[in-house]
Amino acid sequence: MNVLTFFDPSSADLETPDPEDVRMLTEDVWLALLGEDEVLLPRLVPPGSPFDAAGVWSATVTVTGGWQGVVTVELDEDVARQLTGTMLDIPGTETVADGDVADAVGELVNMVGGNVKSLMPGPSTLSLPAVAAGRAAFPSDVTEACRLDLAWRGAPVRVSVHIPQ
Amino acid sequence: MRAMIIDDSRAMRSILRRIVSDLGFETCEAGHGQEALDHLNAGFVPDVCLIDWNMPVMDGYTFITEVRANPEWRDITLMMVTTESEQRNIVRALAAGAHEYVIKPFTPDAIVEKLELLGLLQPAQDGALA
Repeated sequence: MNVLTFFDPSSADLETPDPEDVRMLTEDVWLALLGEDEVLLPRLVPPGSPFDAAGVWSATVTVTGGWQGVVTVELDEDVARQLTGTMLDIPGTETVADGDVADAVGELVNMVGGNVKSLMPGPSTLSLPAVAAGRAAFPSDVTEACRLDLAWRGAPVRVSVHIPQ
Repeated sequence: MRAMIIDDSRAMRSILRRIVSDLGFETCEAGHGQEALDHLNAGFVPDVCLIDWNMPVMDGYTFITEVRANPEWRDITLMMVTTESEQRNIVRALAAGAHEYVIKPFTPDAIVEKLELLGLLQPAQDGALA
């Protein structure tokens, strides 16, 4: 997915979110959606490495206004389908349609992005989610401000925040 | 009791539907504010609406103002359930006529607690989600 940005560099506060805050809010969202026993564990990944799942779903929301940034969630395909099955109360992952995955992953990034927005200076506006099957590709006018590499049941999950350069 | 769940995410509607259905509510769903208004105009007038803020076509704030502009719908309780957590927007929503405000992520207990505060649920029904 090519991430499109519509930032106004003249008005942006370039403050970056605290990675620990982003980790905690991501865990809160994850536990609320999947259940109290479904923990996300940290995963060691070299800086600059692309998201390394075989199949990937990615979703972004853009924050504009007093603070500007792009919040992205990338999920292993199986993680995305299990998340969707849990949210929609569908047993098993075989019957989960791609449209349902897009919807569930979009709501996940909406919740993570909305909570990142609440950490940053406002007032600002959150976009509707953009979701795609495939890795997120970022334009050259943004830089990675924060990245969390996590694992759920051994499968990779990545949350990143990009801000204007 | 009847509840209308207004959220552009089917997954989030599913989560909220399970919570309020387990509490005995009859439910109706809408993917945006305009669809919710269509349900109201068609005769499904709920006791409570659970309303997302950020939706296509018509957002939750606009929906609240539309509902409050119609005296026939003055008895509907309006509860925002949203990731929008800026203080100024919470104040705007409450000033426009929302009764309660829940910020995502939430637990089922948080929804139950708000419904109790609003008088839509008896505290004795707490165990319904246990």
